[in-house]
Amino acid sequence: MTTTLPVSSPRRSRQAVLRHLRVHRAPALLGVGSLVASAAVSLVTAPLLGDIVDLAARGDTGPITRRALALAGAALVQALLAWIGLAAVARVGEQVLAGLREAFVEHALGLPLERIERGGSGDLISRVTEDVAMVSEAVRTAVPQFVQAALVIALTAVGLAVLDWRFLLAALVAVPVQVWTSRWYMRRSGPMYARTRTAGAAEQQQWLESLGGAPTVRAFGLADEHVELVRHRVDDSLNRTVGVVRLHMSFFSRLNLAEAMGLSTVLVTGFVLVREDLASVGTASAAALYFVNLFGPINRMLFLLDTLQSATASLARIVGVTEVPTDGTTSAVHASDVRPRDGEVVANGLRHAYVEGHDVLHGLDVTVPAGSTVALVGGSGGGKSTLAALLAGVRRPDHGRISIGGADLSGLDPATMRASVVLVTQEVHVFAGTLAADLRLAAPDADEQRLMDALTDVGADTWVGALPDGLETVVGEGGHELGPQQAQQLALARVLLTDPLVAILDEATAEAGSAGSRALETAAERVLAGRTGVLVAHRFSQAVLADLVLVMDGGRVVEQGRHDELVAAGGRYAGLWAAWSAGRTPA
Amino acid sequence: MKNSEQRSAEQAGRALLRRSLLDQKRRMALASALSTGHQAGEAAVPLLVGLIIDRAVTTGDTGRLVLWLAVLLATFATLSVCGRLGFQVGFGASVEAARSLRVDVARRTLDSRGSADSTMLPGATVNIATSDVRRTTAVHYQVTQGLAAAVGVVFASVVLLTVSLPLGALVMIGAPLLLLAVRAISSPLEQRSSVQQEQAARAAGVATDLVRGVRVIKGLRAERAGSERYRVTSRQALAASVHNARTEAGFKAAVIALNGGFLALVALVGGRLAADGSITVGQLVSAVGLAQFLLEPLSGFGGVIATVAAGRASAVRIAALLQAPPAVVGGELAPGPAGRIALTGVHGPGLAGVDLEIEPGRITGVLTTSPEAASSLRRYLGRELDPDQGEIALDGITLRDLDPERLRETVLVCPHEPDLFTGTLAANVLAGQPGAEAEAVKHALAAAGADQVAETLPGGLEAAVSERGRSLSGGQRQRVALARALLRDPGVLVLHDPTTAVDTVTESALAQGLREIRAGRTTVLITSSPALLAGADRVLMLHEGVIVADGPHADLMSGHPAYQEAVLA
Repeated sequence: MTTTLPVSSPRRSRQAVLRHLRVHRAPALLGVGSLVASAAVSLVTAPLLGDIVDLAARGDTGPITRRALALAGAALVQALLAWIGLAAVARVGEQVLAGLREAFVEHALGLPLERIERGGSGDLISRVTEDVAMVSEAVRTAVPQFVQAALVIALTAVGLAVLDWRFLLAALVAVPVQVWTSRWYMRRSGPMYARTRTAGAAEQQQWLESLGGAPTVRAFGLADEHVELVRHRVDDSLNRTVGVVRLHMSFFSRLNLAEAMGLSTVLVTGFVLVREDLASVGTASAAALYFVNLFGPINRMLFLLDTLQSATASLARIVGVTEVPTDGTTSAVHASDVRPRDGEVVANGLRHAYVEGHDVLHGLDVTVPAGSTVALVGGSGGGKSTLAALLAGVRRPDHGRISIGGADLSGLDPATMRASVVLVTQEVHVFAGTLAADLRLAAPDADEQRLMDALTDVGADTWVGALPDGLETVVGEGGHELGPQQAQQLALARVLLTDPLVAILDEATAEAGSAGSRALETAAERVLAGRTGVLVAHRFSQAVLADLVLVMDGGRVVEQGRHDELVAAGGRYAGLWAAWSAGRTPA
Repeated sequence: MKNSEQRSAEQAGRALLRRSLLDQKRRMALASALSTGHQAGEAAVPLLVGLIIDRAVTTGDTGRLVLWLAVLLATFATLSVCGRLGFQVGFGASVEAARSLRVDVARRTLDSRGSADSTMLPGATVNIATSDVRRTTAVHYQVTQGLAAAVGVVFASVVLLTVSLPLGALVMIGAPLLLLAVRAISSPLEQRSSVQQEQAARAAGVATDLVRGVRVIKGLRAERAGSERYRVTSRQALAASVHNARTEAGFKAAVIALNGGFLALVALVGGRLAADGSITVGQLVSAVGLAQFLLEPLSGFGGVIATVAAGRASAVRIAALLQAPPAVVGGELAPGPAGRIALTGVHGPGLAGVDLEIEPGRITGVLTTSPEAASSLRRYLGRELDPDQGEIALDGITLRDLDPERLRETVLVCPHEPDLFTGTLAANVLAGQPGAEAEAVKHALAAAGADQVAETLPGGLEAAVSERGRSLSGGQRQRVALARALLRDPGVLVLHDPTTAVDTVTESALAQGLREIRAGRTTVLITSSPALLAGADRVLMLHEGVIVADGPHADLMSGHPAYQEAVLA
C-alpha cells in the first residue's frame, strides 16, 4: 500500500520558484536587461552587412572600412552586455537552485517516517538524486541557452522587419512546420526517454545482480544463464537508445524542411522586391544571410523544449515534497516548556497498524521505571521493533499515550525531545564524510576529546586509532568502509554523544559474528548505564541482565518478569531459553 | 617497472579499441560517406544563396531563379537524408560495438575460473561495463562525424579558394586561428568547471546520503543537524558554481566578440574585393556565409579529440578487466563420487599448514577463530582459489587437476552472502536444480525452513523476490538460499555461516533438517553457531592456522576450554 509523495502543480511550482526569485530581484532584472540590450545591439549587424554589399555593388570602397569597424564595434558591445547579463542570470539561477534544494532536503528530513515509508523511500531518493540533478542541469545549461536562442530569434524577426516587413512575412512560412514538428517531437520524446531510462535502470540492476552474485553464479554453474540475462537487458536498453537517436534525427530532418521552405521564400521575396525596386540587392542578401544564421538558434531552442519539459516535471516533484507537512523536527522554534522530570517511560493502550485494519500492537501498556533496563524478547513479527519506534516517538501510535518523566511525548519540542529519547535502529548507516562529521550529527558542538571519549566508551578506540587519519578519516560510501560491527559501535557512540534520558536500542546484533556480538553487548551496557533503557534482545545473554523482560508475540506482551522468574515459570520464555542454551552448555 | 606495466596496459587498451573499430568498419565507412554528403550539403547552402543573389536577384531572371531554387531544395533534401542516415548508421556502429563489449565483460566476470584481480567491487565492474563501454564506443560514431566534418571543411575551403584566393586564404587561416583562440580561453575554464562539478557532486552525495540514512537521523533526532550539514555543503557548491558561471559567461562573451570580429574582417576584405570587381556580390555573400559555416565543423574537432582521448582511457580499463589472468589455472579432470576430502599442509590467509581428512557421508563442523581462515577454506574447497602451498584432494585427486566447473557439479560451496536473484521464490530455489520434482522441492524447502518463509509471503512460492533478494529479510534470504543448495543435492556441500540471521528456535530446527536431508552425503559446516555444531557428527576447531580440537561438539564443550570459550564468546 504505497502512496507516492505528492507532485506539485505547475502553478504552485512556478510560485515556489518566484518566491525564491523574489529575494534576488535586482540582479535578475539587471541580467535580463543586459541580455535584451545585448541582443538589441546585434540588430545592427544585418543592415551593416546589407550596406557593405550595396557599397560593393556600387564599387564604393571607402565607406566599407567604416561599416566593417562598426560591425566589429557592435560585436564588442554585444559581448560586453552578454557578459554582464549571462553572469547575473547564472548567479541568480544558481542561488534559486540552492534555495530550492536546501528547502527540499530540510523538508525531506523533517517528513514523518510513516509518510516516507508510505511513499517508498526509493521515491524520495530518486527525487533527491535524479530530479535535483535534472533541474540543476536545466538551470545551468538549458535555460541560458534557451533564453539566448529565444532572444536571437525574436530580435532577428524584428531585424528582418526593419529591413523590410515583407521579409519577416516570408520567414514566418517556416513557423507552422516548426510548431508542428515540435509538437510531434514533444509528444514522443517524454515517454520515449522514460522507457529508455527504465531500460537503462533494468540493465544496471541486472549487472549489479549478476556481478554482485558472481560467487553464487559460479558455485551453481549459472554463468550461461546470467550472460543471457545480461545480454537481454543490454539489447533492450541499447535498442531504446537507438530509438531515441532515430527520433532526434527525424526531428532535425523535419526542421530541415522548414529551413528549406523559409529560405526559398525569403530568396523569392528578395527577388521580387529587387525587381520591383522596393529593396536593394544588399538588403535582399542581408535578409538571406540573416535567415541562414537563424537555423542554429531555432534548432537549439526547439531541441531544448523537451529538456525543459522534463525539468519542469522534476521541479514539480521537488516542490511537491516541500508541500507535505513536516513533523516539526527541523524547525528551531521552541513550541513548549514542558520538560520530563526523569527517565520514566509510561505507555498506555498503544495500538498501531501499518496497513489499516491490521493492528501490529493491540493496546499495549508498558511502564519502565527511570534508570532501569527492559528487554523485549520474541520471534519476528511480534511487534518489538514497532514498540521500540513508538516509545522513541519516531512513529506515532494510532491510539494510546506515551509519556517520559510525566511529560507527554507528543507535546515536546524538538530540542527537548533530543535530550529525552533516542532510538538506534536495526538499519545501520555510516554517513559519508569524516568520522567526526558523522558523530557530530549527534552532537554538533562536541570537541574532539568528547568524540574520542564516546568512541572509547563503546570500545571503538582501537580501530579508530588505527584509521589512516583518525577522526578525520573519510568513512561511508566512497570512503573507508566500516564493518558491520564498527558501524554499530558508531551508532552507539552517537547515543552517548546525544546523552538522552532514555535510550532505545533495536540493533541487529545477530548479524555480527559471535565474538563481535559480545563486544557490542558490552558497548550497549555502557550506553545504558545511568539512563533508562529499552532493548530489543536478539541474544538471551542480554535478557539475562535486564531488570525486566517483556516477551512479545502477535502484538501483545504474553509474559513479563525477571529472567529467573520467567525461566522458573516454564512458559514460552523458558522454551526460547532452552533452545538458545542448547549447544551452549557442556553436555 | 611501473612505467612498463602502464605502457603495456595502454597498448592493450589501444589494441582493444582498434579491434572494436575494425569490427565495425563497414558501418563506419557507410556512415562517414553519408555524413560527408550532409556536410557538403550544409557547405553548399551559403554558396547557393550567393549564386541565387548573383544569377537571379541581381539579374531579375525568373527562369534562373526557379532553376537555382530547385537546386537549393534538392541540396536540402540530400543533406537532410544523408545527415539522418549517416548519424543513424554511425550510432549503429557504436551500439553494435557496445553490445559485443558488454557481453564480453559479462562472460569474463562470470567465468568459472574467476579473475586474479578479485579486489574490484561489483560496482566498479558495472561501471566498466556501462560507462567505460559507452565512452569507448562513442569513439565509433565520433570518428565518422569527424571524418565528414574534415571533408566538409576541405570542400568549403576549396570553394572559397576558387572564388577568391585572398579571401579564401583569410577564411582558411582565420577560422582555425579563431578556434585556437577560443580553446585557449576555454582550457582554464574546463579546470574550473571540474572543481565546480566536484563540489556539486559532493553536495548531491551528501543529500542522497542523508536521505538514505533518514531512519538513523530520525532515531537520533538529528534532523536539524543533518539539514544544517547539507546547507553548508550546498553553500560551498553554490560559491563554486557562481564563480564558474561568471567565468563561463566571460568565455561566451569572448566567443561572441571573436566571432563578430572575424565576420567584420571577412566583410571588410570581401567587400573591398567585391567593390573593385575581383569578386561578385553573390560571391561576397557566399564567403560571409561560408565563414560562419566553417566554424561549426571546425569546432566539432575539439569534441572528437576529447572523445577519442576519453575512449582510450576507458578502453584501457576494459582491456585490463577482460585480460586479467584467471584466479585458478589448469585442471581438466572430473571428480569422483565418494566425497572424501583431504587437506595436506594447506597454507593461505589464516591457514598455517592445515592437515585434515573429512570422511565421506558425514557432517563435519569447522569452527574457526579467525574469519580469514573460514573464507580461505571456503574458497579453496570450491576452487575459487588454489592454496598458496599444500594440496587439497577430493577422492585422491588434487583439486588443481580438476576442472573448476566439473568440480562444482560435485562440490557445492555456498558463498557466505546468500545471493538471490530477481524472480519468484520458486525460481530462486529451482536455480539449484532446474526441473527438480515437486517432492524434492518440498523436501528441500522444509529442511531449510523456507516453507515458513513462503507461508508468510503473499503469493507463497510464487511471491516476487526483488533485486538481490532485498524484499526479504536477512533470515528469509538465508533460508531460501539454503533450500536452493539442498535442492541441488550435491555429493559435497560446504556451507559457511548459513544461519547468522535466523532466530535460535528456527536454527535448531534447521540443524535437525540438515541431518535428515544430508544423510549419507558429505557436508561441511563452517560456522560458530552452537546449534549447527551440535548437529555435526564431528567438529574441528581451527585456531591460529592449525587444527587444535577434533571431536563431537558435546565432548569438546565439556573437555576443551578453548573450544567452549570460542563457542560462547
